[in-house]
Amino acid sequence: MKPAPTLSSAFLEPGGHSLPAPLLELRRQRGTALVDMPLPTRKTENWKYSSRYLKLTDGLAATLPATGKDGLSLSLPGYRVVFRNGVMVPEASDFPDLDGILIQRFGDLDDSDAAALAERLDNTLDSRAVQMARLNSARFEDGLYIRLDKEAVLDHPLFVVHEVTGTASGSAYPRIYVEAARHSQITLVEEYLSSGDEPVMVDSVTEFTLGDGANVTSVRLVMEGENVQHIGATGVRQAASSRFESHCVGFGGPLRRHDLMVRLEGEGGECKLNGVVVTQGKQHYDNHTSIEHVAAHCNSEETYRNIAADQSHAVFNGRIHIHEDAQKSNANMNNKNLLLSTGAEIDTKPELEIYADDVKCAHGATIGQLDRKSLFYLVSRGIGRREANTLLTMAFINELVEQIPVQAVKDAAQLRLNEFFDQTFEEA
Amino acid sequence: MLSIKNLHASVEGEEILKGIDLEIKAGEVHAIMGPNGSGKSTLSQVLAGNETFEVTEGEITLNGDNLLDLETEERAREGIFLAFQYPVEIPGVSNLQFLRTAVNAMRTHRGEPEMNAAEFMKLAREVSKQVDLDPAFLKRGVNEGFSGGEKKRNEIMQALLLQPKLAILDETDSGLDIDALQVVSKGVNALRADDRAILMVTHYQRLLNHIVPDYVHVLAGGRIVKSGGRELALELEERGYGWLGVKEEAAPSAAS
Repeated sequence: MKPAPTLSSAFLEPGGHSLPAPLLELRRQRGTALVDMPLPTRKTENWKYSSRYLKLTDGLAATLPATGKDGLSLSLPGYRVVFRNGVMVPEASDFPDLDGILIQRFGDLDDSDAAALAERLDNTLDSRAVQMARLNSARFEDGLYIRLDKEAVLDHPLFVVHEVTGTASGSAYPRIYVEAARHSQITLVEEYLSSGDEPVMVDSVTEFTLGDGANVTSVRLVMEGENVQHIGATGVRQAASSRFESHCVGFGGPLRRHDLMVRLEGEGGECKLNGVVVTQGKQHYDNHTSIEHVAAHCNSEETYRNIAADQSHAVFNGRIHIHEDAQKSNANMNNKNLLLSTGAEIDTKPELEIYADDVKCAHGATIGQLDRKSLFYLVSRGIGRREANTLLTMAFINELVEQIPVQAVKDAAQLRLNEFFDQTFEEA
Repeated sequence: MLSIKNLHASVEGEEILKGIDLEIKAGEVHAIMGPNGSGKSTLSQVLAGNETFEVTEGEITLNGDNLLDLETEERAREGIFLAFQYPVEIPGVSNLQFLRTAVNAMRTHRGEPEMNAAEFMKLAREVSKQVDLDPAFLKRGVNEGFSGGEKKRNEIMQALLLQPKLAILDETDSGLDIDALQVVSKGVNALRADDRAILMVTHYQRLLNHIVPDYVHVLAGGRIVKSGGRELALELEERGYGWLGVKEEAAPSAAS
């Protein structure tokens, strides 16, 4: 038997960007633990449909260089922090210094904040479940630490833009850690973009910890180009009566993978996870979500929609784990899938593990095509084929797009959706 | 205006229409009656361009142009309108967005500027009053959760907005109580015009008490077996279809 492939040692060399000592030490420890890390294969259950799209060539091991703001054109409203190739670009960033809210790049943290962060990093992630997140912990060059003291409220959404420049081949390791203390509140928007066309890998990790009654909204927009493999993980831990809302909108690429893991650890916690994925050409997108009801009286509501055109491939794996003590849990998971061509493929798998006896847990998954009768009805009113198909496809995701609480993200997503419709649907 | 010659059409290899000939002139109202399964709805769907049905022989022209060469949306833009027997529910597309898109597709075709949201809203509110449909319906998904009567009124509302040359009403009276029937009939009568033709397909003659046709045709076994004036509908109500040598699956007046 052929031994399982392991991570090439080339990937164990971080770049030289300066970081505070406690973070350098953490990174070194994580790197040591990665020696001989097996890579996901077809036989790795949670990479079953995606391992063949993962191409970790040695050329990707190089750290992409920090580039500054040259050639960057961003006009985002409100607060923003811009990272290029995993390193913050201060000249392109604009965010407030507010009482009770720390927003700081890893490189600028003082020793005590850096030590506090080093203790927390990775504590929302199950490292067995997210192999590639471990690589991020060994390789991050910079990152963003956001800490909200109790009752602190960030008054506008904070945009964190992660751009990679594909002028040379290599990888970037975006990292965000959000600590939201009791009754604090924040809306964080992550936008993933790229330029250039050399092969690039983005391995990103975002973590959220929510104190009692904290209210966190996470918006994630993935729009990198065809040269970018993106493997991302988001870990969330929620204390009592906290509320976490996630809106993910993703467009496909050679590989897109997102693991979203939420642990409801205190009574009365609530999470709502929405996701929209659109793939075309030969693209691939894999969403794995996991919701752990650890404490009693928590609600989770999950709605994901995949749209696959051409020969593209989308995967949804939704796990709900209700622990023995999590009585009165209420979990709802719904995944609907739309195939726009006979060559497209969507794999969906709900995974329910329920160990408590007094719970409500519902799940539903469907895979279908656009309804021919609806299409005929629309065109019989003079509406063109392209527009009719667009209306019907938008109808499939409208409910989720409408719920995105940040208008700028809605607009950006709609623009990209319109491109997709133009490329996918023909007039007659 | 509409000329149908020796029209044959099949679905999944089974011939449903077996040689239809029909001439409809501008300003005329025609009714096509017939027992269930006679091909009435097939004729409506074929005229509108439903690809489920295959035209195997014959021709259809609209003002001299070959209709069979046109896609469904092109036929609509040339003035064909079908009020569906079973209007489709499309959750996620608002009725307002649907109607405005349709109206603007027609306007673009005619070289007129598109209507903006505010202009269209004003027009839609006026027309919805004409069919006694609460403007709140404009905000809902297309036909989503509408009652049978509301769906039919929505169809007539679309006809009033799109102002077709030929309106085909497929069983528009089915499922309507008497009040709704009157509202729908009022809407249809408002459509009557010298430059417009109306083709009503109906199983029962009660609709014809409200919308008086110029001609009545009996369709049976995929052919028109009898044509006459409005008195033919009354005769059918009295005598059923039997005297025409047509097997009766249901008497035309049974449920009226």
